[in-house]
Amino acid sequence: MISFSSAKKRYPNGFEALKGVSLNIDKGEMVAVTGHSGAGKSTLLKLAAGIELATQGSVMVNNQNVGQLREAGLAVLRQKLGLVFQDHKLLFDRSAFENVALPLAIAAFPRAEVGKRVRAALDKVGLLNREKSNPVTLSGGEQQRLCIARAIVNRPAILIADEPTGNLDQEYASTIIELFRSFNQVGVTVLLSTHDEVGLARLNCRRIVLDQGSVVA
Amino acid sequence: MKAWLTAHIQACERAFMRFRFQPVSSLLSVAVIGIAITLPLGLYLLFANITAAASRVNTDPDVNVYLALNATDQEARELEKRLKQIDGVSQVKFVSRETALAEMKRVANLADLLTGLESNPLPHAFSLRPASSNPETLTVLRKNIAALPKVEHVVMDFEWAQKLKRFATFAERLVMLLGIVLASAVVFVTGNTIRLQILTQKDEIEVSQLIGATRRFIRRPFLYFGAVQGFFAGLVAIAVVSGIVAWIGSEVQALTVSYGSEFALQSHSAGQALGVVALSALLGWLGALISVSLYLRQPGRL
Repeated sequence: MISFSSAKKRYPNGFEALKGVSLNIDKGEMVAVTGHSGAGKSTLLKLAAGIELATQGSVMVNNQNVGQLREAGLAVLRQKLGLVFQDHKLLFDRSAFENVALPLAIAAFPRAEVGKRVRAALDKVGLLNREKSNPVTLSGGEQQRLCIARAIVNRPAILIADEPTGNLDQEYASTIIELFRSFNQVGVTVLLSTHDEVGLARLNCRRIVLDQGSVVA
Repeated sequence: MKAWLTAHIQACERAFMRFRFQPVSSLLSVAVIGIAITLPLGLYLLFANITAAASRVNTDPDVNVYLALNATDQEARELEKRLKQIDGVSQVKFVSRETALAEMKRVANLADLLTGLESNPLPHAFSLRPASSNPETLTVLRKNIAALPKVEHVVMDFEWAQKLKRFATFAERLVMLLGIVLASAVVFVTGNTIRLQILTQKDEIEVSQLIGATRRFIRRPFLYFGAVQGFFAGLVAIAVVSGIVAWIGSEVQALTVSYGSEFALQSHSAGQALGVVALSALLGWLGALISVSLYLRQPGRL
């Protein structure tokens, strides 16, 4: 489903975030990327999501060579992924419902089905009763769950989540870990990054350990 | 096909939403663009009316041939025959010196003065209507006629027709120039409106692109907004110009009737109005396209 072959990423300022990473993630697999901050976890996830492009080597997602896609092709690839961001990237000028509906608008979903899909996603993350709330009024954990609802509303085959439990206390973190486990159980390929050892133990999945831009385990 | 249509309908709805959320600034932009279009449109109509009024006056050049004072009636009749044979003369009218004097007494209120004269000071004359109004042909014609016996003066009145033509060309160019300047103003005004909108929606654009919005998707509602804004501005311009024509038109008509003319102020045709509105919408679309494309092509953007 996702494969890297000697993928390198050097940012314009010269910093080499990934120094030739090769890995393979199968369909339906759940993989956690760990490592210290600055080890290249976020960069690896961005390459897998087509948000950043490898400067050398190649990244294949869904049998597509990400580096060879043009602007519109990359966008369409991202439409098919469920992306959860470390800083949520929620829009504070609209309701929770409208935030979750955004991917459907981008995919030009028929209006009649939008309500059903959005409420199903909100229900899944336990925020159905908050659909009219502004994300500002939600707690950190709720915001993260709202972000997850937005990621799954389009029913993607791949979920990519950058530090979904970062900055959350244990109780909130474990609900979120449980969510990802349940998505994986219904066949969704999950790639997430974390440095939360308790969460990792609960996930009980394959680990990729990064150190200074290289896979060490 | 259905998805494409849904995408366009939804983009159109988002564009109208922006109108609803920013009614004041949207209306101000519509007014500014409307006025910018009113100027060349109004000037165009002004010049179109001037040239129309001028062309009602007979601009076909008349050639007046004055004979020597000592030319006899017999000589005049012979000359008439020869004039009729000249190529490029379509009509010959003889004006005898007696007729000319009688005419002058009647028209010019000079009766008292003229009756004091011992003899008729006016010569026999011919009024010719040339077949062509081409200045070069007319110059040749004048030379040929002047060479005929007993012809004293050949007076041709084609220069002012040429001047009128030049004025019309000049006015046309002026309108065109003003049109181009103000059309680019419409593009820039729309571009700026769109730029301000983009700034207020930076987050939405960024997040949308992260989760898979194509540039085309981001652009679409802005393009609709620009086109719709231009469309309304075009309507404003048509309304303003129609209002002015109606307001001034009745006065102009009263004035021309008092001069015994039937000239009526011309407004734009329905087709021209449609063209102005369409062009204005197109310019708005173009301004939006430039603005949003510049933004999306900034380095470091997805």
